Amino acid sequence: MKVWALVLVAAFVIIGISAVDKNKFKTCSQSGFCKRLRPFKPEKSQYSLNLDSILVHGNVLSAEVVTIDAADEKRTVLWKYAFKLSALADGTFRVELDEADPLYPRYRTQLALDGEPKADGLKLISKDDGKVILVNTQGHKVIITSEPLKLEFLDLNGEVAVVLNENSQLLVEPLRARREKVEDEDGDGANQLDDEEGTWSETFQSHHDSKPRGNEAVSLDVVFPDADHVYGIPEHTDGLALKTTTSGDPYRLYNLDVFEYILDSRMAIYGSVPVMYAHGPKRTVGVFWHNSAETWIDVVNYGEGNVVSSLVNLVTGGQKKRVDARFLSESGIVDMFVLMGSTPGDAFRQYTALTGTTPLPPKFSLGYHQCRWNYMDEADVRSVDENFDVHDIPMDSIWLDIEYTNKKMYFTWDVVKFPRPAEMVANLTAKGRKMVVIVDPHIKREPGYFLHEDATELGYYVKDRDGKDYEGWCWPGSSSYPDFFNPVVSRYYSDRYRFENFPGTSKDVHLWNDMNEPSVFNGPEVTMPKDCRHYKPPQDGLEGLAAYWEHRHVHNEYGLWNLRATNTGLLDRADGVYRPFLLTRAVFAGTQRYSAVWTGDNTAEWSFLAASVPMCLSLAIAGNSFCGSDVGGFFKYPEAELMTRWYQAAAFQPFFRAHSHIETKRREPWLYPAATTALIRDANRKRYALLDFWYTLFYEHTVDGLPVMRPLFQHYPDEPATYPIDDQYLLGDALLVKPVTTAGASSVEVYLPGDGPWYDVDTYVPHKGPRITQPVTISKIPVYQRGGTIVPRRERVRRSSALMADDPFTLVVALDANNSARGSLYIDDGETYEYKNNKYIYAKIEFGPDEMTYTLASEGAQYPTGAWLERVVVAGIRAAPRSARLQQDGRQTALQMTLHKGNDVLVLRKPAASMARPWTITFAY
Amino acid sequence: MVCKTWIDRFSSYFVIFCSVIIFAQSDVPRPRGVSLSKASLYLPTKDFTCFDGTATIPFSYVNDDYCDCFDGSDEPGTSACINGVFHCTNAGHRPQNLPSSRVNDGVCDCCDGTDEYANPTACTNICEELGKEARAEAQRVAELHKAGSQLRIDLIEKGNKKRNEMAEQLTQLEKDKSEAEKIKAEKELLKNDLEMKENEVLKVYREAEELEKQKKLDQEKETNLKESTEHFNRFDSNNDGELSVDEIKVVNVFDRNKDGQVDDDEVKMFLGGDEKVDKDAFLSTTWPILKPLLMMEQGMFKPEDAKTDTTETEAEENHEELDADFEGNEEDNSDLDLQEEHEEDETVSEQSKSYNDETQKIVDQASEARTQYTDAERTVREIESNIRNIKQNLEKDYGLEQEFASLDGDCFEYEDKEYVYKLCMFQKVTQKSKNGGMEVGLGNWGEWAGPENNKYSVMKYTNGIACWNGPSRTTTVNVNCDLETKITSVTEPFRCEYKMELSTPAACDDSSTSQEHTSHDEL
Repeated sequence: MKVWALVLVAAFVIIGISAVDKNKFKTCSQSGFCKRLRPFKPEKSQYSLNLDSILVHGNVLSAEVVTIDAADEKRTVLWKYAFKLSALADGTFRVELDEADPLYPRYRTQLALDGEPKADGLKLISKDDGKVILVNTQGHKVIITSEPLKLEFLDLNGEVAVVLNENSQLLVEPLRARREKVEDEDGDGANQLDDEEGTWSETFQSHHDSKPRGNEAVSLDVVFPDADHVYGIPEHTDGLALKTTTSGDPYRLYNLDVFEYILDSRMAIYGSVPVMYAHGPKRTVGVFWHNSAETWIDVVNYGEGNVVSSLVNLVTGGQKKRVDARFLSESGIVDMFVLMGSTPGDAFRQYTALTGTTPLPPKFSLGYHQCRWNYMDEADVRSVDENFDVHDIPMDSIWLDIEYTNKKMYFTWDVVKFPRPAEMVANLTAKGRKMVVIVDPHIKREPGYFLHEDATELGYYVKDRDGKDYEGWCWPGSSSYPDFFNPVVSRYYSDRYRFENFPGTSKDVHLWNDMNEPSVFNGPEVTMPKDCRHYKPPQDGLEGLAAYWEHRHVHNEYGLWNLRATNTGLLDRADGVYRPFLLTRAVFAGTQRYSAVWTGDNTAEWSFLAASVPMCLSLAIAGNSFCGSDVGGFFKYPEAELMTRWYQAAAFQPFFRAHSHIETKRREPWLYPAATTALIRDANRKRYALLDFWYTLFYEHTVDGLPVMRPLFQHYPDEPATYPIDDQYLLGDALLVKPVTTAGASSVEVYLPGDGPWYDVDTYVPHKGPRITQPVTISKIPVYQRGGTIVPRRERVRRSSALMADDPFTLVVALDANNSARGSLYIDDGETYEYKNNKYIYAKIEFGPDEMTYTLASEGAQYPTGAWLERVVVAGIRAAPRSARLQQDGRQTALQMTLHKGNDVLVLRKPAASMARPWTITFAY
Repeated sequence: MVCKTWIDRFSSYFVIFCSVIIFAQSDVPRPRGVSLSKASLYLPTKDFTCFDGTATIPFSYVNDDYCDCFDGSDEPGTSACINGVFHCTNAGHRPQNLPSSRVNDGVCDCCDGTDEYANPTACTNICEELGKEARAEAQRVAELHKAGSQLRIDLIEKGNKKRNEMAEQLTQLEKDKSEAEKIKAEKELLKNDLEMKENEVLKVYREAEELEKQKKLDQEKETNLKESTEHFNRFDSNNDGELSVDEIKVVNVFDRNKDGQVDDDEVKMFLGGDEKVDKDAFLSTTWPILKPLLMMEQGMFKPEDAKTDTTETEAEENHEELDADFEGNEEDNSDLDLQEEHEEDETVSEQSKSYNDETQKIVDQASEARTQYTDAERTVREIESNIRNIKQNLEKDYGLEQEFASLDGDCFEYEDKEYVYKLCMFQKVTQKSKNGGMEVGLGNWGEWAGPENNKYSVMKYTNGIACWNGPSRTTTVNVNCDLETKITSVTEPFRCEYKMELSTPAACDDSSTSQEHTSHDEL
């Protein structure tokens, strides 16, 4: 959902403008620390590591770092810092720099990491010439130059892969006590900082930020030698490969509810995941900037045409390729993880090893979701549900946006429009469908509303700068916001999701947390003021400013705390038996552990359809594989062709949900001309035929941490042509998708990487790359299966995924040059955690000229599925076998085969093997 | 097995329906999911040919849970083909054709439960129950239509009567019209005659006035020229007969926006885009802009009064125009006798003029004649408008037998939680919030929009108030048979497209209900 305020919407439309109001959101020069520190790039870094203080213990090197006044011959120490370098499992390092003795503790982001990272060994190799050299167990070396402080991370070939502080932009602004208003006492210049405008307060538009702790920014630069491109740091709208930011603003990370966000922009929107990858033919590496405050990131790619070549030589010393990045945050500490790769997959996995993977979703959530702001009452829901059956379009869930509540008081129902929610849900579940309802974090300040009364009485709300309950304006009008940072509040909030506390819900009602940036209509930049106060565990000696966190420290993490509390509630309400589904708009590092994400309030325009691919790809490599965009576009109305193409594209994106604004024309599939409805039906059926392929990919993601939706360069890291591609992508390593995202297309250009062949999934016609022109009609979705893979399908598409549980499989074998292929299949009950008790099937499927085998790959895992093997389709067969025999459970059956000579496709008719147990098909020639 | 099942069913069919002929037909053995009409296409003794003719397969492949035909015809009783059709007989109720994806999916779709044969205990046969309910409902509807038809006859009578009355009215009005036109013609003659006389006597006065006016204009022109020349010479500091940008920039009065300097925009405005102006250009271009500013500076002049000040903001201009229109109307009404093209001030002056007694008398007589003519003209217009209305109503489609005619103009209200809806038949639909606020038009009478065979079952009201960012509101009224005319529900299924259910005896049709009984084609 959601927009700012309806009044505003009206105003925009009347004057015919349909794009973001940029004035509402800060540019770098309007954000105090960005304005102050973006130009910060001293000739020489003041930071220096005290070699005598080095201590290596276990996987950690700790040392004292000091800043030294360079102008001073006496080398006066300006400030002292605590430095830590940790070696972590799987080729990962962590660099931390905090003040040695800060005035108050500085905020360390709490929830991004999926537990304490696993340690690796760290060995000190040498310590001389002002350098320290260390190595981890894999053999990655780290060279620390003590003065000025610089860290070089070497790949396994001994080449420098990542450099920190090469550009001298390391900075930790020391916390200072605010002086009383006295005249400059000593006039030594050190106080100038104190007096500088904006140190102790800032104003943006009419919003005043009291900044009681003064300046506390942190900064660090990273150099990636040999890199062609850097990627990541979602959520932005300007493409997968990041661009040089020397003109215009840096990329900004600050979770914001941006009304009618625009494309090709580095503006902050709903999500912030500060992980960046650098890739070139030599290697892939990454860095994860572990910080939840407002962050700006500059990028300079020296390989880009528009960076002046003389500058390139000057800076890079003649290196042809290099990308520099610089992370600048308003508060916190310097805490940088360095991911050593060396392949793209390695780096992506190293990131999910730190922040977690998306847990196996309930299977229904991979199906099609039907949403609108709003389905107005129970009759509306019923009629939408029935119409999907009338038009024979598979659908797994109907969603309710904010209007289902009693006056936007969450955990309540509008009893006039929704008098019998349990019955309504039962109508859906009778056909295997689910319901998803919205619960936003803002709480209506309404006397008599239990949640408000409890929160007020128990002090559960976020506090304003004066320590009173913070009041903002959101959907319900005057609202306050639970302080999830307090474990008691989170617990209380989780308990609201218990079935008895949220009548009408059941295990089949899933959740949607929107507006959790948090969105505050009347707040600065439509969010919470930075000087609001959050809970901090009480601790002796911590009083005053030290007794709470400010919103500025935790802003990007707020949504994550909201999601964690919801997730806990959803697990607990079903005693940990059923897997919950949850969708969020705000995103931060770690969000993937709790929730699927979507790209927010987009617009029904072709450009937004096209943008859904790079936006979700960026989120996917940043851990959030379960991503999608509002099908059709949230604002405005998609005409038939755009709607068709959007369904076709989204059918091949992980999260597949149609959604629309309350003021737009209704657009359920049958409201279009019959031909369009039929095309939408086809798109949805294509999705459902591949549901088990998706489900298997998501299962594998929980094991290997790799994205489900992948950029081409992940599997073709040596093909530079793939590096900038973000209008096509891979699903797993088997399917390549090139959605049609332009009006009136009669063909699309497709890049087919590797040796191929790539088989058109509609015709089984093999194609060789690297580039083909694919003719398209309005019904065509260009999707290709890589030679050498096996994709499981279920051709019997039913009303919902649950009804297909025991339906038979078709295995599509796409042969490589060696006439072989492999694939996998995951099966379980689709909704519980029983798979953790070994109640599942994970099968490896291999095809060779002599036999095809289906073997259970997980020791001891079993699941009594009724599914069976209906058909094997072998594409690209050159020498057809004379006969085929199936063996299962010690029985042999001769199989019927049909060879389609026109396209070299062999079909094995009805082997009827159970998918619960292994089988083999042998071929004779 | 299949035969046994059919024999088991036999007895129940017999007891319930005693329809020997139909029963005999249903005894035809056929594969699962095949309707009686298609049974002959599935002959166990022969290979099966797909309906589309694309393949012929052994009969054992029919319903073997593997799709062999592109058209799905080989798997009528399984879910194997995505485009297959499963037929359930639903004895005791209506038969059904289901997409084959509904077969054995765990949901009971056929009331006889035959679609879930893989799990025989999953569904119970509820066809009898449903059939009974359906028949009872059909019965109820039939009775309702019967009773409603009596009331409908009354409505038809009323409707016809109303139309007859209107026709009579129309005749009367036509008569009245010719009468009134006659009077109008007489009055016009009289008026023209008197106005001629009036013109004659007023001529003298007008000529004198014209002269006076011209004199005044000449004077003004002269003053203006003098004044502008003075200013030109003053600004032209180097006396080269041209005003340059530099010369302008030092003169305060050109600082239009009072920001302390004469900027380029201001120069451009005053010089009409040129670098310099000579005296003539100054007079024609610069001076008209400059003069009001000078006057303002000197406090002689307030911008609100400046009709010639072209730089006034648009809003103010509009405001003025509105005022002018308003005054103009007043003028029309109160001084019909005077030339309309005259400006307001002149009109006033003419009124205040005094004529000699003789002249005054003729002017008064002419005024009186004009008033009488206007009245006569108005009467004709009113009659014509009445005629138009009645004709319009007579042309309206009130149903096959005028059954809706008497309802024209009747209004019905419906309240929900937030709104009161009002339907005025053949006029309009409105919505009013219970919390106050304006009445919103949801559409004006458009047309009957029912299906071809039942045109009078749906009314369309179109062109209501436009939604922001959307179309204008429309309302579809479904017209159902009941004994009383009332609205039974209002919804907004689509944004700005309202749906009303209206029940009325006018929609009851004794003959139409016979169709309802004929659905049991296969028992």
